[in-house]
Amino acid sequence: MPVRISQVKIRTWAAMTCLTAVACGGCGRGDKGRLVAEPEAPAAQAAASAPAPATPPAEAFEPPPLAALDRDAKWIDRPVKDALAVLREQQAKEPARGTVAEALALENNSAAANATILSALGRLPQPGEADLEARIDRHVAGDLGSTNPILISSSAEFDILGLTGFGLFSYDRTLEPFANAETVVNWQTSADGLYDKVVMRDDLVWSDGTPITAHDVAFTYRVIMDPRVPVPAVRSGTDQMKGVHAYDDRTLVFFHKEPLATNVWNVNFPVLPKHVYEHTWEKDPTLKDSPEHVALEEKPVAGGPYEILSRKRGQEIVLRRRDSWSTVQGRQVREPPYFKDVRFRIIEDPNTALLALKSGEIDEMILQPEQWTTQTVDDDYGRLNTKATAPEWVSFHFAWNIGTPFFADRRVRRALSYAFDHDRMLEKICLGLYEPCAGNFPPDSWMAGPKKLEPYKQDLDKAEALLDEAGWTDHDNDGIRDKEIDGRLVPFEFTLLVNQQPFRIAICTLLKENLEQIGVIANVRPVEVTALQEMMQKKNFQACFSGWGSGTDPDSTENIWKTGEMRNYCGYSNPEVDRLFTEGRRELDRARRAEKYARIQEILYDDQPYTWLFWRNSFYGFAKSLRGYVFSPRGPYHYSPGSGSLWKPRAE
Amino acid sequence: MATYLLRRLLLGGVTLVAITVVVYALARAMPGNPLTATLGEDPSRKVSAADYERMQRAYGLDKSWPEGYLQWAGNLLRGDLGRSITRKQPVTTLIGERLGPTLLVSGTAFLLIWMLAIPLGLYASARSGTPDERGVSLVLYALYSFPTFVAALFLQIVFSVWSKGTAWELPLFGMSDLPPDAPLAARIADVARHMILPVVCQTYVSLAYDTRFIRATMAEAIRQDYIRTARAKGAGPWRVLFRHAFRNTLIPLVTLLGLSLPSLVGGSIIIEQIFTWPGMGRLFFESIRERDYPTIMGLTLMFSVLTLLGQLLADLLYSAVDPRVSVE
Repeated sequence: MPVRISQVKIRTWAAMTCLTAVACGGCGRGDKGRLVAEPEAPAAQAAASAPAPATPPAEAFEPPPLAALDRDAKWIDRPVKDALAVLREQQAKEPARGTVAEALALENNSAAANATILSALGRLPQPGEADLEARIDRHVAGDLGSTNPILISSSAEFDILGLTGFGLFSYDRTLEPFANAETVVNWQTSADGLYDKVVMRDDLVWSDGTPITAHDVAFTYRVIMDPRVPVPAVRSGTDQMKGVHAYDDRTLVFFHKEPLATNVWNVNFPVLPKHVYEHTWEKDPTLKDSPEHVALEEKPVAGGPYEILSRKRGQEIVLRRRDSWSTVQGRQVREPPYFKDVRFRIIEDPNTALLALKSGEIDEMILQPEQWTTQTVDDDYGRLNTKATAPEWVSFHFAWNIGTPFFADRRVRRALSYAFDHDRMLEKICLGLYEPCAGNFPPDSWMAGPKKLEPYKQDLDKAEALLDEAGWTDHDNDGIRDKEIDGRLVPFEFTLLVNQQPFRIAICTLLKENLEQIGVIANVRPVEVTALQEMMQKKNFQACFSGWGSGTDPDSTENIWKTGEMRNYCGYSNPEVDRLFTEGRRELDRARRAEKYARIQEILYDDQPYTWLFWRNSFYGFAKSLRGYVFSPRGPYHYSPGSGSLWKPRAE
Repeated sequence: MATYLLRRLLLGGVTLVAITVVVYALARAMPGNPLTATLGEDPSRKVSAADYERMQRAYGLDKSWPEGYLQWAGNLLRGDLGRSITRKQPVTTLIGERLGPTLLVSGTAFLLIWMLAIPLGLYASARSGTPDERGVSLVLYALYSFPTFVAALFLQIVFSVWSKGTAWELPLFGMSDLPPDAPLAARIADVARHMILPVVCQTYVSLAYDTRFIRATMAEAIRQDYIRTARAKGAGPWRVLFRHAFRNTLIPLVTLLGLSLPSLVGGSIIIEQIFTWPGMGRLFFESIRERDYPTIMGLTLMFSVLTLLGQLLADLLYSAVDPRVSVE
């Protein structure tokens, strides 16, 4: 049963890495290079002189005997699931909205057509229905920087590692975490929330035939946490643990520093083959300089259902299904994945990619919104392809820098939200493709709370009243509001930064026009993506258009809103929000936790550090020969089973 | 000659230092650094301040740009161009991987351009003012003003989508479809087919420009007294054109050729992007976007050296094509 949970951890990251692009660029699989960044050769020397991380290395941790743990901890069983089986059960309860033939004949131009396509074509195969010798040609917009599971960072790398990497945990299409039944027999958490115990399956082998054991996981933790190894980003999560200990080949315990609701995500990290790296990593902690590591980059030892068959740099990467994943010692232990080969074709240009889809050279791709609306509506496209869409947990907003005199007063921020013509943006610029966004958490998510927030509706009278109240009036009768600050009359004229994409500039221009009506001048300034990121990180801006993807856990937005946090670009500070985030992480009861995040949502809504704009949809083009695509809030791939549910029917 | 060469090489060295200093300073002055995009935006990656500083030290980003430059130059003197920050490979390896594909397209285009531009330019000069010359000029102007990205898309649609399954079909993108273990001859033929559309796109604009260039310099030359003299002496029109006029236009032509040298390895961002051709243009563009300083500097160094060499070569060729010019 190919759950490809190994994909999932990395997919967590894949989806999250998109955030970079979301914030400033376009989130496509081509957002490649800017996501990379582990130091190169000098890293080892630099790291050697660097201060030790807050967390001591794993060696310093002395785990108690397992018998003592079992005696003292009250273990609570946690879900161990076969994601594909779960999906199959769910689909069995949902009758298809139409036949495959009907769905394939549809042009996806309405919500009903989209629902029918997803329902009929998204189904898993009946026994014998899938062509197990088939190949899928997937599109990626950039090449790999690394194939080492703990060094990867770009979207393309996550896509590939999702199929070749090994992992214990995953999450489903509703983003609920579980342990993967393909790799785990049993998962338990202690009642006090301080330990997670996992018993791994005994029929797991790396692609070189060596068994995959609990020692690989503990070893990887030790490597990740070593300050000489330049992977600080991967430490996000693992640094919340005291240690990971393998008691035998199969039994593994994760020791947490605190009983946190987020521990369930912290235990989920990519796994290295210990037998491969244990003799090499200390000699070359960069994991990529030594000849051994260079050779491993080309031909990594795989732990997932696929291994790299061939690679042409800048052109394609071909993966081959690994027999040793599904068959061990002559016995079939797991259902083989549906495709024999997965060929990732690197095409950076979206127009070329669309032509490749139209001519049948690739089987799927992310469509740009304009491709969805205008370039995939003709027979030329519909001959071989169909398309589908679903909401994503990715939102966009205007961010107001509270550290500037313009936006320190929340009445001003609320006034600007009231001034903006939200409906016009949705209808005329977003062409009705997106849902309105009013707050930090997706409206249908558990953390958003029961109260449905509506975007601030345009009301210029209210906006003007709020500005008057905040002291921004037109003192010198020049048509522009102003205010005396430090003895100087400051006109309300600010710069709104935005990435150079025309769509985004159009939204900013609409705001500019709206604000002119209430005597506020916004100068829209398009900026190159990396420069924009730098300016935001240094808080060197007044206002900007930006976006975030929501994490699987609401705690992932803490560093956007908590006082002084790295991504709190607005300089927002509210003690109650700070407290609620801390409490939310420590609260293990889901319902009580949800209340805290719902309260955060309400406070942010009132304070309007952002003017939230819309939730973006994901748009995908699929070959008509492809089946099994099911969307999550992170698109059709970045969850479990994700891409593992795709298949092609046998030829009639 | 030796003195001249030595002087030029010394001057070239100074120029090279100046170029690399300026480019390094500009690259470091650009907002953002290689860590900006990577570690700054993903809320799930809570990199500690200590780790961030350590990463900065590892990349040498904690150093001022003069210190950084000196370190880069020092490594260069030891034959080390450094490693790409974002691609995790030595810069020399990266350049080596991209050089071949770039030269395949640009070298072929370069040959085609000159093989066609010279006869076309001469033809246009010889037939100046006639309807066929005007026709050729019109076509050349049209080509010159036709954007490459539009032409590329058009060619892709015609030859890769509409012609699919016919003898006219050409690959839509990439450099090869065959596995590495396919027979050599088949792989060569496969790469050649993949090259056709990128080469056509890279050729037509320069062809138009260079033909017009030759036509213009020829127009200048044939107004000279020595042409009138040659004609008066009874030389035939083609002899006048080749032996007397064309030879005197070689100096600007050689200059143009010399300046073309860097573009041979520079690649084309647009063409490489559209056809997913693994060339140098894409690498340079991406490295700037990613603030990948070692790659930016490695490529800058290569382009600068080639530019200087191209100019030196052109200067040396002046004396070969014009006896009045002496390199002394």
